Amino acid sequence: MNIAFWIISAVAVLGAVLAVTLRNLVHCVLALILFFIGIAAHYFLLRADFLGTVQILIYVGAVAVLILFAIMLTHNVTGVDGPKELLGVKWWSGAAIAATLAILLKKAILSDPLATLLPAGDKAQSSVAEIGKALVAGWVVSLEAIAILLTAALIGAVVIALEEIQKS
Amino acid sequence: MNIPLGHYLILAAILFAIGLAGALTRKNAIIVLMGIEVMFNSAILNLVAFWHYKHFAVPTAQLFAIFAIAIAAAESAVGLALVIAVYRHYKSVDVDEMKELKG
Repeated sequence: MNIAFWIISAVAVLGAVLAVTLRNLVHCVLALILFFIGIAAHYFLLRADFLGTVQILIYVGAVAVLILFAIMLTHNVTGVDGPKELLGVKWWSGAAIAATLAILLKKAILSDPLATLLPAGDKAQSSVAEIGKALVAGWVVSLEAIAILLTAALIGAVVIALEEIQKS
Repeated sequence: MNIPLGHYLILAAILFAIGLAGALTRKNAIIVLMGIEVMFNSAILNLVAFWHYKHFAVPTAQLFAIFAIAIAAAESAVGLALVIAVYRHYKSVDVDEMKELKG
């Protein structure tokens, strides 16, 4: 199981790095899909099988396709990023800020006794039934609030994207 | 699986830093949104790791993760609609060119 953790982590980090550094926007989205699949594999490894399925359905199935549509709508389907922007002053300063954050977080995590915690129970059982019961029993108000939020976001996205068409 | 919790936390911290670097350095607004998605996912990975190591018996943390994923999906839909609206106005998605309100 340990080797699975390292392989999946390497895939996820590789996908994330490629997604924010590649020049071609469509290639960026493909690398982002690799990152999402790596995160979903981590969820399966952590026995959160329902979350892993949701991750693949929503992120790989919906968000990645949405980003691809946005690229096609804004770049006349070429999908190539504009002028050269890598390895400038801005790139180095942003990378330095991110590296500083990562190093500080690593120090903070390793100084906490929680960092050496090992999993208590590792029984291979599905938690889907428990999640379903909890959603309709104790958390039904939150579920309805999320439903309203998603409806509002859907209508808002359509209104924002259509505004200019109606004027012209 | 005998990986300590710290490994997952450090992995999530590294992924968060990569997403932050992407959101800070790239000019294209769509890639800035993609960096934000990477940061979202690393935060949710933290949540699921804490659930697995500390509260494996109750599924509450998974519900929080599901709600966070739903909110992230709504955020990315509205964000991409804003990118398209900005593109119609400026004919560009370069975040450095959106400076009409700059003081």
